[in-house]
Amino acid sequence: MAELEESPASAPARPMSGSRLRVATLPLVARIPPRVRSRLAVGLLALAALLFPLLHANDADIDSAANALAFAALALGLNIVVGFAGLLDLGYAAFFAIGAYAYGAAASFQLQPEWSSFWEPFHWLDLVARLPGPAGGDVVHFQVSFWLMLPISAALAALFGVLFGAPTLRLKGDYLAIVTLGFGEIVPIVARNMPAVTNGAMGLNGVAAPQLFGYSFGISATPYYYVGVGLVALLIVTSLRLKESRIGRAWMAIREDEIAAAAMGVNRVRYKLLAFAIGAAFAGATGTFYVAKLQTATPEMFMFPVSVMVLVMIVFGGIGSVWGVVVGALLLQMLQSWFLEDLSQWLHGLGRLIDVAWLRHVELASSIELIFGVILVVMMLYRRQGLIPATRPMPALSLDQQAAQIQRGGFATLPVISPQPSPETGSLLAISGLTVSFGGLVALREVGLVVPRHGVVAVIGPNGSGKSTLFNAVTGLVTPDRGSVVMAGREIVGLPPHRVLECGIARTFQNLRLFPNLTVLENVMIGMHARLASGAAGALLRLPRTRREEEEARERALAILALFGNRLVPRAEHLASSLSYANRRRTEIARALASNPTLLLLDEPTAGMNPAETLELAEQIKSLNNSGLTIVLIEHKLDVVVSLADQVVVLDHGEKIAEGRPETVRNDEEVIRAYLGRSAAFA
Amino acid sequence: MTETGVLLQQVVNGLSLGAMYALLAIGFTLVYGILELINFAHFNVFMVASFIGMWALQLLGISGQSRVLTGLALAGSLGFAFVVTMAAAGVIGVVIERVSLRPLRGVGGTAGMITTIGVSYILFNVILLTVGAGSENYPNPLPVHRWQLGQVVVELKEVLIWAVSLILMAGLHIFVSRTRLGKAMRATAQDAEAARMMGVDVDRVVVTAFFLGSALAGAAALIFGLYYNYTSFIIGYTAGLRALTAAVLGGIGSIPGAMVGGLLIGLIETLGGQLIAVRWTDVIIFSILVLVLVFVPAGLFGRAAPTKS
Amino acid sequence: MLSRRAIILSLSSAAFAGVFVGARGRLLAADKSVTIGINLPFTGADAHDAELIKDGAMLAIDEASAAGGVGGYKIEVMQLDDGTATAGQYDPAQAATNARKMVGDDSVVAAIGPQMSGSGKAMSPILSQGGLATITPSSTNPDITNPKFAAQYRPGGKAIYFRTVTTDAYQGPNMANYFADTLKVKSVYVLDDSGAYGVGLANAFEAQAKKRGINVLGHDQLNPKEADYTTTRTKIKQLNPDAIYYGGVAQAGVKLVKQAYDIIPNVIKAGGDGVYGAEILKGAGFPAAQGWYATIAAPNVLENPDAAPFIEHFVKKYGQQPDNYSITAYDAALVILDAIKRVAASGKEVTRAAVRDAIQNSHVKTLQGEVSFDANGDIENRVISVFQITHNDKYPSDDVLHQYKYVGVAPASS
Repeated sequence: MAELEESPASAPARPMSGSRLRVATLPLVARIPPRVRSRLAVGLLALAALLFPLLHANDADIDSAANALAFAALALGLNIVVGFAGLLDLGYAAFFAIGAYAYGAAASFQLQPEWSSFWEPFHWLDLVARLPGPAGGDVVHFQVSFWLMLPISAALAALFGVLFGAPTLRLKGDYLAIVTLGFGEIVPIVARNMPAVTNGAMGLNGVAAPQLFGYSFGISATPYYYVGVGLVALLIVTSLRLKESRIGRAWMAIREDEIAAAAMGVNRVRYKLLAFAIGAAFAGATGTFYVAKLQTATPEMFMFPVSVMVLVMIVFGGIGSVWGVVVGALLLQMLQSWFLEDLSQWLHGLGRLIDVAWLRHVELASSIELIFGVILVVMMLYRRQGLIPATRPMPALSLDQQAAQIQRGGFATLPVISPQPSPETGSLLAISGLTVSFGGLVALREVGLVVPRHGVVAVIGPNGSGKSTLFNAVTGLVTPDRGSVVMAGREIVGLPPHRVLECGIARTFQNLRLFPNLTVLENVMIGMHARLASGAAGALLRLPRTRREEEEARERALAILALFGNRLVPRAEHLASSLSYANRRRTEIARALASNPTLLLLDEPTAGMNPAETLELAEQIKSLNNSGLTIVLIEHKLDVVVSLADQVVVLDHGEKIAEGRPETVRNDEEVIRAYLGRSAAFA
Repeated sequence: MTETGVLLQQVVNGLSLGAMYALLAIGFTLVYGILELINFAHFNVFMVASFIGMWALQLLGISGQSRVLTGLALAGSLGFAFVVTMAAAGVIGVVIERVSLRPLRGVGGTAGMITTIGVSYILFNVILLTVGAGSENYPNPLPVHRWQLGQVVVELKEVLIWAVSLILMAGLHIFVSRTRLGKAMRATAQDAEAARMMGVDVDRVVVTAFFLGSALAGAAALIFGLYYNYTSFIIGYTAGLRALTAAVLGGIGSIPGAMVGGLLIGLIETLGGQLIAVRWTDVIIFSILVLVLVFVPAGLFGRAAPTKS
Repeated sequence: MLSRRAIILSLSSAAFAGVFVGARGRLLAADKSVTIGINLPFTGADAHDAELIKDGAMLAIDEASAAGGVGGYKIEVMQLDDGTATAGQYDPAQAATNARKMVGDDSVVAAIGPQMSGSGKAMSPILSQGGLATITPSSTNPDITNPKFAAQYRPGGKAIYFRTVTTDAYQGPNMANYFADTLKVKSVYVLDDSGAYGVGLANAFEAQAKKRGINVLGHDQLNPKEADYTTTRTKIKQLNPDAIYYGGVAQAGVKLVKQAYDIIPNVIKAGGDGVYGAEILKGAGFPAAQGWYATIAAPNVLENPDAAPFIEHFVKKYGQQPDNYSITAYDAALVILDAIKRVAASGKEVTRAAVRDAIQNSHVKTLQGEVSFDANGDIENRVISVFQITHNDKYPSDDVLHQYKYVGVAPASS
């Protein structure tokens, strides 16, 4: 099953050693190429889903399956919000309710305004009918087609998602959870207290069954089952395509590390809202399907337990795993509505057989909530990744892949880095009067700094002297109190981080902020986020332009990884969290390079590296500079500073105490007193 | 009653309700302050504790509305019930932490919160399947006393709620600000890593937070039972949700925030019900919560800005 | 589409289902049994009430089985649960699935349930299509049996949704008449518990009360999961009505009874059949419950000589007092058993169509008097009896028969 998740394009990148191992154990299956294998599995699954009602003609079980499909659709939607974007939504049932009542109101006897000429065009479109009313005059009967309402409900729910998300998505995860929980409480209350539209607690009457080519779906469960299969299939494809697109990567970057995502050019608010809207749209369409199938709705159907159960389903199946959440939802829902009673009967039989009294009377059905609670706890303690984990097994490395080839003399070739060598000279980045304070503590005071084009500037200073704060202020992660930062003639103070990146400034982090549960390749591709253009439509329809863009991005990412010789390339499909410390630093640099910057801010790039690795990286940085990149680096190792920097800036207690050529600064009295005097490392 | 009189009476009602929410909210805030975890199990620790309190009183032969005590007998039996309920609830909290949350320490994301939802379901269903779904006629040994203060009636029960809440909150304040363990808790809440390096036994601090939070929930549960003469397996959800909202409103992680938040939610509930309609109570509460968070993202007494940094 | 589906169905039923049905059919012939379906929400918030309803029905079925079955048939029970963890209570979607389960099993000739009208709305069309009659002991929403919605709720034509309880259309309005005529109430405050039953009852009461010139000072909702009703209490105290009327079940009722006690002492307090039962007596206790009026949609049970032994048996067997719906469920089972007996006695095969017709023509003596149904399936006997809780310390305080004092009949609207 895990193979199904993989994009076909990524399959060939699998190193051979892993599959060689499998050839020995599973000769038949393994000889089929992975790409074909995954298609085959999906095909078989689809066939099984289509044949099920024919093989098992039990209306009740088909009905159970259709309900389970509705929950699979909900799980897919919540998976986008929680699994992809990492936003905990505890009120997801609200969107389900909105979709349900949207169709409920548009295709039932509930709303019957008086007939007037206003309704003529709608009548002509067959959206409403004209019926004799109880009070004499004619009334409007809404009969909007189910098929039309599916997208409308989805859009309506998405709209509510955006309206609701806009003010709250800035909140931290836990706060968001409470606010969404509140929204989940409010919607059923509103439904109950607006009987004119919803018939309140009494429940809707006469919601119309869908029709197709004049044939009404009526009461039999089978046509609804097929609609459910179609809906879930559509949502699976949507989920998979989004996941493997630029959008999906942006979501997962936000999930893994919001700050790093923003610094890599991801507009957090926009992508969170998008996740919320798409998740809500899934629930809205599902609500319409559900209420059409049931032909009634009451507010009790959309309360907190529904939100929690959908969450249980995705946790059980595997948060973030598209196939996992579908399986999780189907299993749990059918367990309670279909298997559990059989299981109880079976236990009673067993009890009679072996004459155990409690077995004869045990009713599993009433303990289902207890069982779900236990499942939730046990899964969290022992199998957090769920039944079908979202992350793929890592390909094993061969011996020569493991042996690092040390490169000397910088990067061999740099065609992938194209920092638009500019004929201009003068300053690229000009900082003046920059002051940052946290509460009473002044982290930077009136710092000024000029970085010439194609130059290398090193920022040094003791710990806590404000070096990283300087980077954070430049990249928009902290807002300075005063001062100006001009990048290529443009003031960038006040810009959000993703806009700063778009101006051509990319950075690495001192304390490493990779996206730990994404692969090395994905990490680097997220660096390209701002340089790619494709949106949701392109991703969903797999437009040729989008596919080409993805393919090029992928190739370029691999080429950037290849800069580091065999250190990263064999590990392209490994999770970033599995890398060694030095390789993580290299990946961060690769990720920053991927954004195609003109100015690179490196925060202690060689920290934690041994002398050989340090030397190697220093030479690589030098070659980046030679190819035209302007570089500012924070560094503690003096030999690196001396070998790379044209100019050194010394910070102490947030103030610039010296600047100049490395040799000059090294001999500056104040620097020695402030810095060297306290640090034996600078020797 | 005049309009003002009614509003004042609703304020009295709201303060009683709010005192209970505050006690319950402290449990959320203590755990959150240290583990950054919203503990959904707390909802039903409260519920289970209300049953434990009932059984403790029944053990003393006090059941239903039949026996009213006074003087020393009243103080003694209430003291016994409070000690038993708070200790038992505290132990339940500690067991939950040890069994289901400690193995998850250090695992980021939502794992801890989802586990507590599971634990909450388990507690809920254990009571449902063993005790049943009926409403319990809670023992009520308190004599009925009422004082007419102007247009407002204040009952002995309400005075008891306020007194017990004040004593417990003052005790908590002294514990947190004066004792070694309390200081360690505050330090851990500020910066767990630094506290660990300074030799704070973080496990002990976490256990203490769970014990104290759950014990306060136990006290709230017993007060709840005595005040409404009622308990049932369903009481955890609404009370817990209100208290959690109170904690967030006050700034989750902040103990004074939880106290003020609890009282505010109590007042919003009664005054909102009076001035608008009881049917819209939850809508009013959550609308105010969203508004507060939009303008004061950290809650009223929150320390850090609630965006990840 | 239609033809393809028809082929699909006929193919599959011939190839697969047929085998099982055939096997089952042979089995049936051997020991001559029929099945009664019971569909109630045993999971979640309504589990307690569902259990009491089931116990009532099972008492009648067990009595019949102990007497050697009905008309030569052994009575089997198919017990289904329409409560789910997903909904946390009754779940209309599961109710629909269960309706299909019952319809799909040919041995099921009639059913008891559902408890909730929300489930009933989802089940009714399916049961109608399958020709399976169900008798609900507790679902009171008038829509389901309203001829106006016949196309929706009984596309099969004949009534299949029978009730041994009257709809909201009678209990609330009749009590409003009783308020006006007997209690001389001039002003009232109306409450409901936000559930379908409570809202329906309270709305029907309110409409009739207004018609009778009673001043309705307000109508608000109690959240059944909330414990604190002091806000509402204070509000009512300020408005100072002659009476309050509560539409809802015991869950919120117990708390209302407790918290309304002696803060608003001189107010007449009344409710529907949700306030009639051991749950109120046990949960609220005395003296809080003293003086409350309650109605049941049946003649005075006390006058029925069968009532005392029923309650005695019930308490002995299940260890708790029956509630009002235990009685209507017992009666529903009596009606079904009687129908099976009559079909068997007529020499016809006991099929669900025959049983449905027999139920339609019932004249069965039950705890609530003679039960018969109109063409829509509603019970014809629409007597609403009024009781007042009056403490009788010679009996246990949760003894429904002796703590509720019969005070008369609530008159129907003319």
